[in-house]
Amino acid sequence: MLFPTTDFAIFFCLVFLGHWWLNHNARAWKAFMIAASYVFYGWWNWRYVFLLAGVSVITQLAAIAVSRQHQPRRRMTVMGLGVAATIAPLVYFKYYGFFTVNVTNAATSLGLHVAPPLIQVVLPVGVSFYTFMAISYVVDIYRGDFELSSWSDLFLYLSFFPHLVAGPIVRPNELIPQLDIRRDPRHIDVAGAAWLILGGLFKKVVIANYLAGAIVDPVFGDPARHSSPEAILGIVAYAVQIYCDFSGYTDIAIGVAKVLGFRFPQNFDRPYSARSVQEFWRRWHMTLSRWLRDYLYIPLGGNRRGNGRTYVNLMITMLLGGLWHGAAWHFVAWGGLHGVYLSVGHWKQGKRETGRLAEPPDTTLVHWMQRLATFTLVCIAWTLFRADSVATALTLLGRTITAWSEPSPLITIPVILAIGAGLVTQFVPHGPADRLKGAVSNLRPVPLGIAIAVVLFVITTLGPRGVAPFIYFQF
Amino acid sequence: MATGTKDPATEQPRSDAAPPADGSSRRHAMPAGRVLVTILVGLVVWALLYAPELKRSSEAQPEGLRRTVSLAVLGPVVWVEDRLGVTRLIDNASSAFGRHPNEAVGGDDAVDPLPPTPPDTGHDRPRQPRRDTDLRVPSASNPLRVVVVGDSLAQGIGTFAERVFRPNLVNVFREGKISTGLSREDFYNWPARMRYIVHQARPDLTIVMIGENDAQSLVTPDGDTVAVVGTTGFPAAYEERAREFAKIATSQGGHVIWVGLPQPRDTRRWDFIGRQNRAFADAAAELPNVAFFDTWSAFAAPDGGYTAYYRDGSHVTLVRTDDGVHFNADGYTILMHLIADFAQEQFQLDPRTYEG
Repeated sequence: MLFPTTDFAIFFCLVFLGHWWLNHNARAWKAFMIAASYVFYGWWNWRYVFLLAGVSVITQLAAIAVSRQHQPRRRMTVMGLGVAATIAPLVYFKYYGFFTVNVTNAATSLGLHVAPPLIQVVLPVGVSFYTFMAISYVVDIYRGDFELSSWSDLFLYLSFFPHLVAGPIVRPNELIPQLDIRRDPRHIDVAGAAWLILGGLFKKVVIANYLAGAIVDPVFGDPARHSSPEAILGIVAYAVQIYCDFSGYTDIAIGVAKVLGFRFPQNFDRPYSARSVQEFWRRWHMTLSRWLRDYLYIPLGGNRRGNGRTYVNLMITMLLGGLWHGAAWHFVAWGGLHGVYLSVGHWKQGKRETGRLAEPPDTTLVHWMQRLATFTLVCIAWTLFRADSVATALTLLGRTITAWSEPSPLITIPVILAIGAGLVTQFVPHGPADRLKGAVSNLRPVPLGIAIAVVLFVITTLGPRGVAPFIYFQF
Repeated sequence: MATGTKDPATEQPRSDAAPPADGSSRRHAMPAGRVLVTILVGLVVWALLYAPELKRSSEAQPEGLRRTVSLAVLGPVVWVEDRLGVTRLIDNASSAFGRHPNEAVGGDDAVDPLPPTPPDTGHDRPRQPRRDTDLRVPSASNPLRVVVVGDSLAQGIGTFAERVFRPNLVNVFREGKISTGLSREDFYNWPARMRYIVHQARPDLTIVMIGENDAQSLVTPDGDTVAVVGTTGFPAAYEERAREFAKIATSQGGHVIWVGLPQPRDTRRWDFIGRQNRAFADAAAELPNVAFFDTWSAFAAPDGGYTAYYRDGSHVTLVRTDDGVHFNADGYTILMHLIADFAQEQFQLDPRTYEG
């Protein structure tokens, strides 16, 4: 079930009623919310609910096994086995085809005959997200950071519909305690929630969908036929599209959770205002960044084992981060490029700390130059991410230099306005928005409802007909 | 197994110890009942404002319970709004935002703008060929005009046609339109669009890939049903539509490669799609300058069934997407190469025009 649909609007009204009606009865409330979340998930394909339930059962059994082990080495072994069992469905669903094709062709090129079954494994939506949450749960219990929860809490933690299909990746200590505290039905921040939901819809329906059709798809579809200005603007437009698409989705998810009395972690904090790639990763898909840091980079040794090992750890983390996004070499290349960026950043930081590299001047001009440089590096990497192959990405990057004399019919005022609107959101201070939300919160239900309806009408009218799926659903 | 961390008996309404960082402490909160009123008012008012568009979208949906219920609800609402003049106000507001309320729901956006009509010398375009003719030999100053039409599959091959054909010898126009077909002319009128394309671009070669959305009754642009899907009259009427469409595409001397539908993963659809492909093939066999490309066979597993992989000698490539219907980038690239080879075989397409 997609958020910007009438199906979801009807579903949410029913869930809202049931949620607050059963709020006083924890057991009934949890059963209702689990059922609602499974209906939400099964709306795509009813078979998926068995996978979700299966991952939940595996996760809880692994967590129970870990919690019963007190001897450190055995506890670690059990945790490792538990994580492997939890991640096994993801590996199968996401990487079987990639593995099969590459192994078969590599073996053939070596003169060997390998014939694994050529079956098409369909990737269920959301599996990458809830698998990472499941791993958090098992590892946090192993580390003693979190206690074993009840079966119902675990089932609801993994399936809770606002975060289910595209995050944010919520950690156990952020959500499970909220499941056991009765929510206060007297104080719902409806203005804050409406801001997030309508803002998310605007970003997705108006900006992201428009840019996709107007310039991104044509430019990435056939880079060789587009001029340098179109290639450059196409890449920048994709940076805006993926931001508006993904942050739009998480804004809606966070807003929906807010109406139900839940608080989710922030997932985006104006990432294109970052002055370094390190800062970009502290602002972009923040819940994935911290997951990779806490459950991959730091366990690998982080930066505690010398510079050489730090670079290796950064590269491993980002390469696997790339592979998490998709089973294709261009995603691996995207992750690898970010690994290189981060390694260079770490190297420069080390030089600065030892005084062998001067700190840049702390001026506004330098800050903007740093932002521009960071945005350029991120856009180069986005080219690898969006293109259907590394070769296509390289062709497009080449076109940014070699085709300046060709016409650029795709560069239009609406395209520039949409890109501008997406980028301006990176630099708008929070103050005015907070004041506007404060003013809106003074409205009574009927005027507020009418105001919401008018904004919704503008969004649905400005956007293209039909519902385009969110980019991150495929991951 | 008692594993819970909290005792439900001690549950209390949450009281945040510290003000949240998102500024919500400065906003007035609402009780749940009022929030529900807000949501319902918002949705109802939006539905009233958007009712004409919702009704148009519902009319374009495939026949079924969902369409029937939607129209039963929206019909009276729009009727009242029409009488009160509200629809006109809403349509004016929509126009102000750039949406033309009276255009076909399928719309014409997301397709390439067509070029002005090229000069017709009358020499290289036989108007009523009695048998297949060859495609003309293009030059840099007079490149071949190739148009790709059809549904989302055509959108895919349109994109990769641009990559496979050499830009100095071929101009590709991507006219594929998602969710369209030959059945529902009330949703998207492909014959009218094709007439316009032929008039405007006078394509040398039209690549047609259509039919994936056609398991629906045949409806005219005015909404009249001419053949109900599943009835005995449907196959002949559908084939007639395919034949008429191909005639339009070749009416100015152009050539047509009609690309058959591939087998989907869902075997329940094989029979219907098989009959569609036979209709396309039969229509192509009857008409000059129209050739049918058998996608089904080209991408079939060794046993003739569905496979997501394509074997070229010993090299294996994943070619289908997870939906079991469309191709991925590699698949469209392979398909487009096969189509170009087929056009060379059938119509002597100049081999310099594409990357072999």
